[in-house]
Amino acid sequence: MVRLPYSTALTTLFSYGLLFAFGHLRDFFRRIIDSRKPTTNLKDYAPICLGHEDFYTRRLFNRVQDCCNRPIASAPDAWIDVIERYSNDGNKTIHRTSKTSRCLNLGSYNYLGFAAADEYCTPRVIESLKKYSASTCSVRVDGGNTKLHIELEELVARFVGKPAAILLGMGYATNSTIIPALIGKGGLIISDSLNHNSIVNGARGSGAAVRVFQHNNIAHLEEVLREQIAQGQPRTHRPWSKIIVIVEGIYSMEGELCKLPEVISVCKKYKAYTYLDEAHSIGAIGKSGRGVCDLLGVDPADVDIMMGTFTKSFGSCGGYIAASKEIIHHLKQTCPAHIYATSMSPPAVQQVISAIKVILGEDGTNRGAKKLAQIRENSNFFRSELKKMGFEVLGDNNSPVMPIMLYNPAKIPSFSRECLRLNVAAVVVAFPATPLLLSRARICISASHSREDLIKGLEVLSKAGDISGIKYFPVEQEKTTSVEKLKKIQ
Amino acid sequence: MYPGVWTTYILILFFSWILVLSVFGCAPGTAWTLVNLGHFAITYHFFHWKKGTPFADDQGMYNTLTWWEQMDNGKQLTRNRKFLTAVPVVLYLIASHTTDYQHPMLFLNTIAVTVLVVAKLPNMHKVRIFGINAGS
Repeated sequence: MVRLPYSTALTTLFSYGLLFAFGHLRDFFRRIIDSRKPTTNLKDYAPICLGHEDFYTRRLFNRVQDCCNRPIASAPDAWIDVIERYSNDGNKTIHRTSKTSRCLNLGSYNYLGFAAADEYCTPRVIESLKKYSASTCSVRVDGGNTKLHIELEELVARFVGKPAAILLGMGYATNSTIIPALIGKGGLIISDSLNHNSIVNGARGSGAAVRVFQHNNIAHLEEVLREQIAQGQPRTHRPWSKIIVIVEGIYSMEGELCKLPEVISVCKKYKAYTYLDEAHSIGAIGKSGRGVCDLLGVDPADVDIMMGTFTKSFGSCGGYIAASKEIIHHLKQTCPAHIYATSMSPPAVQQVISAIKVILGEDGTNRGAKKLAQIRENSNFFRSELKKMGFEVLGDNNSPVMPIMLYNPAKIPSFSRECLRLNVAAVVVAFPATPLLLSRARICISASHSREDLIKGLEVLSKAGDISGIKYFPVEQEKTTSVEKLKKIQ
Repeated sequence: MYPGVWTTYILILFFSWILVLSVFGCAPGTAWTLVNLGHFAITYHFFHWKKGTPFADDQGMYNTLTWWEQMDNGKQLTRNRKFLTAVPVVLYLIASHTTDYQHPMLFLNTIAVTVLVVAKLPNMHKVRIFGINAGS
């Protein structure tokens, strides 16, 4: 958890209180003015939403909605075309212009640079588009199982280090439909407190009991496991039918890695299954890009189920689950997203196949290894420079996701708009996705950012940070003069 | 859960007392009475009259519960609830002391503190007297 300074907490609470008070004042006057208007012809119908239910959306979010849902007009490469918009009524309605501005892209999950045209992937994708067309127009079990899908399943299984894999058309749907297929009523899911909404959705939809352990706190995980195994199911105290512990590789709002070796050892001790969600870490970290197991030295055979998505590092769409042959066979017969949902689009499958081949070096060049080294270098350089400038940056070293803390609700739009004005596209995240007081700007570094791009980005972030006042830590002084003095003495 | 919420609350009360003093230019006791009555009106409306949540995501699960009843998931006698019950009492003591227990102010202050403390008692959880405020 982030420790925020006390004075920042007071000012942030005061700002939210002020926004809240003004929102209520406006609602009060709006109710008085609207009571004089004639009623509509929906006289006796129940209201779609009661007046105060959408208070947060109307009075807080709508003020800053020009910082979200920005339309883009190009591929999300290192530089991106953002469509300029204007609003005449204080952000209630926003209109697009026909102009675009070319901005440095610090918001896309383009970790290895496959999002834009690539010299190996794109010709093959176009060829597969001509051969297989844009959609299979069928589910996997009917007519949507092409040669490409089978090839990708084998390739993913080989890449990740598991015996078999299953592909699904959407990353969110992977979690939310696989977890109910794996566990049901009478089972127990123990999930990290900062897990993604798709995992929460899948856990709730499965009907199993859900317990949460404090983020990355292995002692608390062990405590929860011991208590739950001793207690058993809620009223009957019968033993749980199975226990699954769900953790993520990189937590996208914190940029932190999970403590995988400790989690595995605790789960083995208490005979619980482990489910690892590598949406952000597959392809982006580790010596050969095989994710957090590669980086932390964990044998993939120790993790029972490994999930990942193709949207982040591979520049495509869709998700996969890699596990033992028996589990995959079971999932192919029970998972609704496999049986009832349209299969992945063939060009998207080809994009992933080509991207994995580049990463593994099987395309005959060493571009994959160069990309992996580049993203590691870029992330470490950017993070250390940001910290030197005095920003409060979260996340571990080697992780390409770095959130910069903003805290105050007024700094969210200020930072975002200032960055856009200076041609940097940065993403800011606030209340429902993060805790109320801990809003942040999330920077995602890509292997296609060159050193000049990063330096320009740092300059702009520094200027925007000065204007918004988010450099909470002291600036590190230049150490060169003291080092030179030491050299002279010696 | 969030640091500084209690401190912000106390600071808002203190600064509103200073605001009342500077706007009306009255005696300090009258200013504390005004703060106490304003505090009564605002906290009664927000804690014990308004129901539901400002977010549409929970689909109206809490539409019959006031904010006081939703606090801490309905658990009674938590630290937060004890603090928020103590604040009107302390305000009452300050207001009565600074007005020297004089007549019209004492009566109004006593009504304020009685209503607020009774509304916050654990026995009043989900109770609607005479069906007032029972609708959604």
